[in-house]
Amino acid sequence: MEAPPCSQVEELQQEQEHGSSLVVGLSLCDSAPLLWRFQDLKTVRSNSLVGALLGSLPRTPRQNIRLGRPLLLMPEEERVLREHHGAAALSARNQDAAGAAELRQRYEEEQQRSLEEQSILALEDRKSALLRAMTSSSGSESGAGSDEALQCRLLALEQNFSFPRSALAVQLSTARAGLSQCQEDRAFLEADWPIREQDSPRRDARYQVFRDLWGRGFFLTSAGKFGGDFLVYPGDPLRFHAHFIAVCLTLDESICMLDVLSVARLGSNVKKTVLLCSPAPDGSVHYTSLQWSGMM
Amino acid sequence: MSGAKASEKAPSANWILQHPTYQQMKELNVGESEQIHAAFLVYMDLTEVRRWKEVSCVKSLDLQVVLLEAREKDGAPVHTVLPLPVHQSLCHQSIRQVLDRGFPMLLCAVASDSTLVYQRMTDGLVTPDPPVGPFEDTGRRQHRKRRQHR
Repeated sequence: MEAPPCSQVEELQQEQEHGSSLVVGLSLCDSAPLLWRFQDLKTVRSNSLVGALLGSLPRTPRQNIRLGRPLLLMPEEERVLREHHGAAALSARNQDAAGAAELRQRYEEEQQRSLEEQSILALEDRKSALLRAMTSSSGSESGAGSDEALQCRLLALEQNFSFPRSALAVQLSTARAGLSQCQEDRAFLEADWPIREQDSPRRDARYQVFRDLWGRGFFLTSAGKFGGDFLVYPGDPLRFHAHFIAVCLTLDESICMLDVLSVARLGSNVKKTVLLCSPAPDGSVHYTSLQWSGMM
Repeated sequence: MSGAKASEKAPSANWILQHPTYQQMKELNVGESEQIHAAFLVYMDLTEVRRWKEVSCVKSLDLQVVLLEAREKDGAPVHTVLPLPVHQSLCHQSIRQVLDRGFPMLLCAVASDSTLVYQRMTDGLVTPDPPVGPFEDTGRRQHRKRRQHR
Protein backbone atom coordinates (compact mmCIF):
# COMPACT_ATOMS: atom_id res chain seq x y z
CA MET A 1 0.00 0.00 0.00
CA GLU A 2 1.77 3.15 -1.17
CA ALA A 3 1.30 6.70 -0.12
CA PRO A 4 0.02 8.68 -3.11
CA PRO A 5 2.96 10.44 -4.79
CA CYS A 6 2.57 14.06 -5.73
CA SER A 7 1.72 14.72 -9.36
CA GLN A 8 5.02 16.44 -10.08
CA VAL A 9 6.95 13.29 -9.31
CA GLU A 10 4.57 11.20 -11.37
CA GLU A 11 5.16 13.43 -14.36
CA LEU A 12 8.90 13.21 -13.96
CA GLN A 13 8.64 9.45 -13.74
CA GLN A 14 6.65 9.22 -16.93
CA GLU A 15 9.17 11.40 -18.73
CA GLN A 16 12.06 9.35 -17.48
CA GLU A 17 10.48 5.96 -18.09
CA HIS A 18 11.98 5.77 -21.52
CA GLY A 19 15.40 6.74 -20.15
CA SER A 20 17.61 4.50 -18.12
CA SER A 21 17.17 6.28 -14.81
CA LEU A 22 14.04 6.84 -12.78
CA VAL A 23 13.37 9.72 -10.47
CA VAL A 24 13.05 8.72 -6.84
CA GLY A 25 10.63 10.34 -4.47
CA LEU A 26 12.19 11.71 -1.31
CA SER A 27 10.08 11.76 1.80
CA LEU A 28 11.48 14.62 3.81
CA CYS A 29 11.22 14.18 7.55
CA ASP A 30 12.29 17.62 8.68
CA SER A 31 15.49 17.83 6.62
CA ALA A 32 16.27 14.12 6.56
CA PRO A 33 15.79 12.58 3.12
CA LEU A 34 14.07 9.19 3.39
CA LEU A 35 13.12 6.68 0.73
CA TRP A 36 10.20 4.38 1.38
CA ARG A 37 9.26 2.73 -1.88
CA PHE A 38 10.96 -0.47 -3.03
CA GLN A 39 11.44 0.77 -6.55
CA ASP A 40 13.18 3.88 -5.25
CA LEU A 41 15.55 1.82 -3.14
CA LYS A 42 16.41 -0.38 -6.10
CA THR A 43 16.95 2.62 -8.35
CA VAL A 44 19.26 4.26 -5.88
CA ARG A 45 21.32 1.10 -5.36
CA SER A 46 21.71 0.60 -9.07
CA ASN A 47 23.19 4.10 -9.15
CA SER A 48 25.88 2.96 -6.69
CA LEU A 49 24.38 4.82 -3.76
CA VAL A 50 24.02 2.82 -0.59
CA GLY A 51 22.32 4.94 2.06
CA ALA A 52 21.46 3.53 5.48
CA LEU A 53 18.39 1.51 6.41
CA LEU A 54 16.70 2.79 9.55
CA GLY A 55 13.49 0.88 10.12
CA SER A 56 12.91 -2.20 12.20
CA LEU A 57 11.66 -5.36 10.57
CA PRO A 58 8.23 -6.56 11.74
CA ARG A 59 9.39 -10.13 12.31
CA THR A 60 12.70 -9.31 14.00
CA PRO A 61 12.23 -6.04 15.80
CA ARG A 62 14.72 -6.17 18.64
CA GLN A 63 18.00 -6.16 16.80
CA ASN A 64 20.12 -3.78 14.78
CA ILE A 65 21.87 -6.15 12.42
CA ARG A 66 19.21 -6.24 9.74
CA LEU A 67 17.07 -3.19 9.32
CA GLY A 68 14.30 -2.30 6.92
CA ARG A 69 12.84 0.75 5.26
CA PRO A 70 13.07 3.71 5.23
CA LEU A 71 16.45 4.32 3.67
CA LEU A 72 18.21 7.43 4.90
CA LEU A 73 20.41 9.17 2.37
CA MET A 74 23.63 10.95 3.31
CA PRO A 75 23.57 14.66 2.51
CA GLU A 76 26.11 13.99 -0.23
CA GLU A 77 23.97 11.23 -1.73
CA GLU A 78 20.89 13.41 -1.78
CA ARG A 79 22.80 16.26 -3.34
CA VAL A 80 24.29 14.06 -6.05
CA LEU A 81 20.81 12.71 -6.88
CA ARG A 82 19.31 16.16 -7.06
CA GLU A 83 22.12 17.45 -9.29
CA HIS A 84 21.49 14.63 -11.71
CA HIS A 85 17.76 15.29 -11.58
CA GLY A 86 17.26 11.90 -10.08
CA ALA A 87 15.25 12.91 -7.05
CA ALA A 88 12.35 15.09 -6.11
CA ALA A 89 10.71 15.65 -2.77
CA LEU A 90 7.30 14.20 -2.21
CA SER A 91 5.11 17.05 -1.07
CA ALA A 92 4.45 16.82 2.63
CA ARG A 93 0.90 17.89 2.08
CA ASN A 94 0.14 14.83 -0.01
CA GLN A 95 1.74 12.59 2.53
CA ASP A 96 -0.55 13.80 5.29
CA ALA A 97 -3.49 13.09 3.00
CA ALA A 98 -6.87 12.99 4.65
CA GLY A 99 -7.26 9.44 3.40
CA ALA A 100 -6.94 8.29 6.95
CA ALA A 101 -10.65 7.71 7.37
CA GLU A 102 -10.76 5.94 4.03
CA LEU A 103 -7.88 3.72 5.00
CA ARG A 104 -9.56 2.80 8.24
CA GLN A 105 -12.74 1.86 6.46
CA ARG A 106 -10.79 -0.24 3.96
CA TYR A 107 -8.99 -1.96 6.78
CA GLU A 108 -12.20 -2.82 8.58
CA GLU A 109 -13.78 -4.15 5.41
CA GLU A 110 -10.76 -6.33 4.84
CA GLN A 111 -10.96 -7.64 8.38
CA GLN A 112 -14.62 -8.48 7.91
CA ARG A 113 -13.90 -10.31 4.67
CA SER A 114 -11.11 -12.20 6.29
CA LEU A 115 -13.37 -13.13 9.19
CA GLU A 116 -16.01 -14.55 6.89
CA GLU A 117 -13.47 -16.54 4.88
CA GLN A 118 -11.84 -17.90 7.96
CA SER A 119 -15.10 -18.92 9.57
CA ILE A 120 -16.08 -20.90 6.46
CA LEU A 121 -12.73 -22.63 6.46
CA ALA A 122 -12.94 -23.35 10.17
CA LEU A 123 -16.33 -24.93 9.70
CA GLU A 124 -15.01 -27.12 6.89
CA ASP A 125 -12.21 -28.14 9.16
CA ARG A 126 -14.54 -29.14 11.96
CA LYS A 127 -16.78 -31.07 9.61
CA SER A 128 -13.99 -33.11 8.17
CA ALA A 129 -12.64 -33.75 11.67
CA LEU A 130 -16.07 -34.94 12.71
CA LEU A 131 -16.35 -37.18 9.66
CA ARG A 132 -12.99 -38.76 10.36
CA ALA A 133 -13.92 -39.33 13.98
CA MET A 134 -17.28 -40.89 13.17
CA THR A 135 -16.14 -43.12 10.33
CA SER A 136 -13.13 -44.39 12.22
CA SER A 137 -15.08 -45.19 15.38
CA SER A 138 -17.81 -47.00 13.49
CA GLY A 139 -15.53 -48.55 10.91
CA SER A 140 -17.00 -52.04 10.74
CA GLU A 141 -20.61 -50.94 10.81
CA SER A 142 -22.11 -49.60 7.67
CA GLY A 143 -25.65 -48.85 6.81
CA ALA A 144 -28.26 -46.20 6.63
CA GLY A 145 -28.39 -45.79 10.39
CA SER A 146 -24.90 -44.49 10.90
CA ASP A 147 -25.16 -42.31 7.81
CA GLU A 148 -28.26 -40.62 9.14
CA ALA A 149 -26.64 -40.05 12.52
CA LEU A 150 -23.65 -38.53 10.75
CA GLN A 151 -25.86 -36.20 8.75
CA CYS A 152 -27.66 -35.12 11.91
CA ARG A 153 -24.43 -34.38 13.64
CA LEU A 154 -23.12 -32.41 10.67
CA LEU A 155 -26.27 -30.35 10.48
CA ALA A 156 -26.17 -29.63 14.18
CA LEU A 157 -22.56 -28.56 13.88
CA GLU A 158 -23.35 -26.18 11.06
CA GLN A 159 -26.20 -24.59 12.90
CA ASN A 160 -24.38 -24.18 16.17
CA PHE A 161 -20.99 -23.27 14.86
CA SER A 162 -19.74 -19.78 15.40
CA PHE A 163 -16.27 -18.49 14.69
CA PRO A 164 -15.21 -16.12 17.45
CA ARG A 165 -13.47 -12.90 16.53
CA SER A 166 -10.70 -13.61 18.98
CA ALA A 167 -9.67 -16.61 16.87
CA LEU A 168 -9.21 -14.49 13.79
CA ALA A 169 -5.73 -14.74 12.29
CA VAL A 170 -4.71 -11.22 11.38
CA GLN A 171 -2.35 -10.53 8.54
CA LEU A 172 -0.15 -7.47 9.08
CA SER A 173 0.62 -5.47 6.01
CA THR A 174 4.34 -4.76 5.85
CA ALA A 175 4.18 -2.70 2.72
CA ARG A 176 3.57 0.58 4.45
CA ALA A 177 5.14 3.36 2.45
CA GLY A 178 5.46 6.39 4.68
CA LEU A 179 4.79 8.13 7.90
CA SER A 180 1.50 9.61 6.77
CA GLN A 181 -0.50 7.46 9.18
CA CYS A 182 1.80 7.79 12.14
CA GLN A 183 1.78 11.38 13.27
CA GLU A 184 3.48 10.52 16.56
CA ASP A 185 6.43 8.83 14.83
CA ARG A 186 6.87 11.76 12.54
CA ALA A 187 6.85 14.21 15.42
CA PHE A 188 9.43 12.10 17.23
CA LEU A 189 11.79 12.08 14.26
CA GLU A 190 11.43 15.79 13.72
CA ALA A 191 12.07 16.72 17.30
CA ASP A 192 15.18 14.70 17.93
CA TRP A 193 17.44 14.80 14.91
CA PRO A 194 20.93 14.02 16.21
CA ILE A 195 23.03 14.77 13.13
CA ARG A 196 24.91 18.02 13.41
CA GLU A 197 25.60 20.13 10.38
CA GLN A 198 29.35 20.51 9.82
CA ASP A 199 30.87 23.86 9.10
CA SER A 200 30.72 24.91 5.47
CA PRO A 201 34.26 24.50 4.06
CA ARG A 202 34.49 20.96 5.38
CA ARG A 203 31.01 20.12 4.11
CA ASP A 204 31.86 21.36 0.67
CA ALA A 205 35.12 19.41 0.68
CA ARG A 206 33.18 16.29 1.65
CA TYR A 207 30.78 16.75 -1.20
CA GLN A 208 33.50 17.35 -3.82
CA VAL A 209 35.31 14.21 -2.68
CA PHE A 210 32.10 12.19 -2.60
CA ARG A 211 31.16 13.23 -6.10
CA ASP A 212 34.61 12.50 -7.48
CA LEU A 213 34.86 9.03 -5.97
CA TRP A 214 31.24 8.18 -6.83
CA GLY A 215 31.89 9.33 -10.38
CA ARG A 216 34.77 6.84 -10.56
CA GLY A 217 32.41 4.02 -9.76
CA PHE A 218 33.14 3.52 -6.06
CA PHE A 219 30.41 2.87 -3.51
CA LEU A 220 30.62 5.11 -0.46
CA THR A 221 29.09 4.81 2.98
CA SER A 222 29.64 6.82 6.10
CA ALA A 223 32.69 5.82 8.15
CA GLY A 224 31.75 6.91 11.64
CA LYS A 225 33.01 3.62 13.09
CA PHE A 226 36.47 4.27 11.69
CA GLY A 227 36.82 7.93 12.49
CA GLY A 228 36.76 8.95 8.86
CA ASP A 229 34.31 10.58 6.52
CA PHE A 230 33.57 7.78 4.07
CA LEU A 231 34.29 4.10 3.57
CA VAL A 232 35.15 3.49 -0.07
CA TYR A 233 34.21 0.15 -1.64
CA PRO A 234 35.33 -1.03 -5.08
CA GLY A 235 31.83 -2.44 -5.65
CA ASP A 236 28.61 -3.17 -3.82
CA PRO A 237 29.26 -3.35 -0.04
CA LEU A 238 27.43 -6.67 0.05
CA ARG A 239 30.15 -8.20 -2.10
CA PHE A 240 33.34 -6.40 -1.10
CA HIS A 241 35.26 -5.17 1.89
CA ALA A 242 36.07 -1.46 1.87
CA HIS A 243 39.47 -0.58 0.51
CA PHE A 244 39.77 2.96 1.79
CA ILE A 245 38.85 5.18 4.70
CA ALA A 246 38.44 8.64 3.19
CA VAL A 247 39.23 11.63 5.38
CA CYS A 248 38.08 14.83 3.72
CA LEU A 249 39.76 18.13 4.44
CA THR A 250 40.61 21.34 2.67
CA LEU A 251 44.15 21.79 1.37
CA ASP A 252 45.03 24.48 3.83
CA GLU A 253 43.28 23.06 6.86
CA SER A 254 45.67 22.39 9.71
CA ILE A 255 45.72 18.80 11.01
CA CYS A 256 47.39 17.52 14.13
CA MET A 257 50.15 14.95 13.65
CA LEU A 258 48.66 12.80 16.37
CA ASP A 259 45.42 12.58 14.41
CA VAL A 260 47.29 11.56 11.27
CA LEU A 261 49.13 8.87 13.18
CA SER A 262 46.05 7.51 14.91
CA VAL A 263 43.95 7.30 11.77
CA ALA A 264 46.84 5.73 9.83
CA ARG A 265 47.43 3.15 12.55
CA LEU A 266 43.71 2.33 12.65
CA GLY A 267 43.71 1.91 8.91
CA SER A 268 46.58 -0.53 9.01
CA ASN A 269 44.90 -2.53 11.76
CA VAL A 270 41.74 -2.99 9.71
CA LYS A 271 43.58 -3.54 6.41
CA LYS A 272 42.30 -0.38 4.76
CA THR A 273 44.28 2.45 3.25
CA VAL A 274 43.59 5.86 4.72
CA LEU A 275 43.03 8.49 2.05
CA LEU A 276 43.53 12.15 2.73
CA CYS A 277 41.24 13.83 0.23
CA SER A 278 41.19 17.50 -0.67
CA PRO A 279 39.48 19.27 -3.54
CA ALA A 280 41.89 21.32 -5.62
CA PRO A 281 41.10 24.78 -6.95
CA ASP A 282 40.92 23.43 -10.51
CA GLY A 283 38.02 21.16 -9.63
CA SER A 284 39.96 17.91 -9.33
CA VAL A 285 40.59 16.14 -6.05
CA HIS A 286 44.00 15.33 -4.55
CA TYR A 287 44.36 11.97 -2.85
CA THR A 288 47.20 11.00 -0.54
CA SER A 289 47.36 7.38 0.62
CA LEU A 290 48.70 6.76 4.13
CA GLN A 291 50.29 3.42 4.72
CA TRP A 292 52.14 1.84 7.56
CA SER A 293 55.80 1.98 6.59
CA GLY A 294 56.63 -1.40 8.07
CA MET A 295 59.73 0.12 9.62
CA MET A 296 59.79 -1.14 13.19
CA MET B 1 83.51 20.99 44.70
CA SER B 2 80.33 19.42 43.35
CA GLY B 3 79.58 22.73 41.65
CA ALA B 4 82.89 22.54 39.73
CA LYS B 5 82.21 18.95 38.74
CA ALA B 6 78.73 19.81 37.58
CA SER B 7 80.06 22.57 35.33
CA GLU B 8 82.62 20.13 33.87
CA LYS B 9 79.84 17.73 32.97
CA ALA B 10 77.57 20.31 31.34
CA PRO B 11 79.39 20.71 27.94
CA SER B 12 79.16 16.98 27.10
CA ALA B 13 75.38 17.22 27.03
CA ASN B 14 75.69 19.41 23.95
CA TRP B 15 77.08 16.70 21.69
CA ILE B 16 74.08 17.08 19.39
CA LEU B 17 74.63 20.79 18.96
CA GLN B 18 78.27 20.15 18.13
CA HIS B 19 77.59 17.38 15.67
CA PRO B 20 78.64 18.42 12.13
CA THR B 21 75.38 17.26 10.57
CA TYR B 22 73.37 19.19 13.09
CA GLN B 23 75.36 22.28 12.32
CA GLN B 24 74.88 21.66 8.62
CA MET B 25 71.12 21.53 9.18
CA LYS B 26 71.23 24.73 11.17
CA GLU B 27 73.07 26.45 8.37
CA LEU B 28 70.20 25.74 6.02
CA ASN B 29 68.37 28.46 7.90
CA VAL B 30 64.96 26.94 7.77
CA GLY B 31 62.85 25.45 10.50
CA GLU B 32 62.69 26.06 14.20
CA SER B 33 65.10 24.39 16.58
CA GLU B 34 62.53 21.73 17.41
CA GLN B 35 62.17 20.71 13.82
CA ILE B 36 65.93 20.67 13.34
CA HIS B 37 66.30 18.51 16.43
CA ALA B 38 63.64 16.16 15.06
CA ALA B 39 65.43 16.07 11.70
CA PHE B 40 68.69 15.24 13.43
CA LEU B 41 67.17 12.35 15.37
CA VAL B 42 65.73 10.91 12.16
CA TYR B 43 69.12 11.36 10.50
CA MET B 44 70.80 9.36 13.26
CA ASP B 45 68.13 6.68 13.07
CA LEU B 46 68.48 6.28 9.33
CA THR B 47 72.28 6.28 9.26
CA GLU B 48 73.25 4.48 12.47
CA VAL B 49 70.31 2.24 13.19
CA ARG B 50 68.81 1.39 9.83
CA ARG B 51 72.04 1.91 7.84
CA TRP B 52 70.40 3.69 4.97
CA LYS B 53 72.67 5.05 2.28
CA GLU B 54 73.43 8.55 1.05
CA VAL B 55 71.47 10.26 3.79
CA SER B 56 71.56 14.00 3.23
CA CYS B 57 69.62 17.01 4.40
CA VAL B 58 67.97 19.51 2.11
CA LYS B 59 65.89 22.55 2.78
CA SER B 60 62.30 22.97 1.69
CA LEU B 61 61.51 26.56 0.91
CA ASP B 62 57.80 25.92 0.58
CA LEU B 63 57.51 24.43 4.02
CA GLN B 64 60.47 26.12 5.68
CA VAL B 65 61.67 22.85 7.15
CA VAL B 66 64.66 20.54 6.90
CA LEU B 67 63.98 17.47 4.76
CA LEU B 68 66.09 14.36 4.45
CA GLU B 69 66.83 12.36 1.35
CA ALA B 70 68.06 8.78 1.59
CA ARG B 71 68.15 5.39 -0.08
CA GLU B 72 67.30 2.22 1.79
CA LYS B 73 70.17 0.41 0.05
CA ASP B 74 72.53 1.01 -2.84
CA GLY B 75 70.53 1.30 -6.00
CA ALA B 76 67.21 1.65 -4.19
CA PRO B 77 65.06 4.66 -5.07
CA VAL B 78 65.65 7.91 -3.23
CA HIS B 79 63.08 8.67 -0.51
CA THR B 80 62.13 12.06 0.86
CA VAL B 81 61.70 12.02 4.61
CA LEU B 82 59.75 14.76 6.37
CA PRO B 83 60.66 14.81 10.07
CA LEU B 84 58.21 16.62 12.31
CA PRO B 85 57.73 16.90 16.06
CA VAL B 86 54.55 15.06 16.92
CA HIS B 87 52.76 17.97 18.49
CA GLN B 88 53.12 20.13 15.39
CA SER B 89 50.32 20.40 12.92
CA LEU B 90 50.54 20.38 9.17
CA CYS B 91 48.21 20.74 6.24
CA HIS B 92 47.49 18.56 3.24
CA GLN B 93 48.99 21.21 1.02
CA SER B 94 52.41 20.78 2.64
CA ILE B 95 52.23 17.04 2.16
CA ARG B 96 51.40 17.57 -1.50
CA GLN B 97 54.37 19.92 -1.86
CA VAL B 98 56.73 17.26 -0.54
CA LEU B 99 55.12 14.65 -2.79
CA ASP B 100 55.62 16.99 -5.73
CA ARG B 101 59.36 16.48 -5.37
CA GLY B 102 58.69 13.24 -7.14
CA PHE B 103 60.17 10.75 -4.70
CA PRO B 104 58.42 8.23 -2.46
CA MET B 105 57.72 10.05 0.76
CA LEU B 106 57.99 9.08 4.40
CA LEU B 107 56.56 11.23 7.15
CA CYS B 108 58.39 10.71 10.42
CA ALA B 109 56.74 11.78 13.66
CA VAL B 110 59.19 12.44 16.49
CA ALA B 111 57.83 12.25 20.01
CA SER B 112 59.25 14.06 23.01
CA ASP B 113 60.84 10.81 24.21
CA SER B 114 62.55 10.49 20.80
CA THR B 115 60.28 7.70 19.63
CA LEU B 116 60.09 7.69 15.84
CA VAL B 117 57.11 6.58 13.74
CA TYR B 118 57.36 6.43 9.96
CA GLN B 119 54.30 6.73 7.73
CA ARG B 120 54.44 6.14 4.01
CA MET B 121 52.62 8.72 1.91
CA THR B 122 51.78 8.15 -1.72
CA ASP B 123 49.89 10.17 -4.29
CA GLY B 124 46.70 8.54 -5.50
CA LEU B 125 44.63 5.58 -4.35
CA VAL B 126 46.78 2.68 -3.20
CA THR B 127 44.76 -0.52 -2.83
CA PRO B 128 45.54 -2.21 0.48
CA ASP B 129 46.90 -5.74 0.67
CA PRO B 130 44.09 -8.26 0.85
CA PRO B 131 43.53 -10.13 4.13
CA VAL B 132 45.57 -13.31 4.45
CA GLY B 133 43.87 -16.71 4.52
CA PRO B 134 43.08 -19.44 5.40
CA PHE B 135 39.54 -18.26 5.94
CA GLU B 136 37.11 -20.04 8.19
CA ASP B 137 33.45 -19.85 7.42
CA THR B 138 32.02 -17.94 10.38
CA GLY B 139 28.59 -19.47 9.82
CA ARG B 140 29.87 -22.98 10.37
CA ARG B 141 31.89 -21.90 13.38
CA GLN B 142 28.79 -20.50 15.03
CA HIS B 143 26.90 -23.67 14.25
CA ARG B 144 29.67 -25.72 15.82
CA LYS B 145 29.59 -23.53 18.91
CA ARG B 146 25.86 -24.03 19.33
CA ARG B 147 26.19 -27.79 19.03
CA GLN B 148 28.82 -27.82 21.74
CA HIS B 149 26.55 -25.92 24.08
CA ARG B 150 23.87 -28.57 23.72
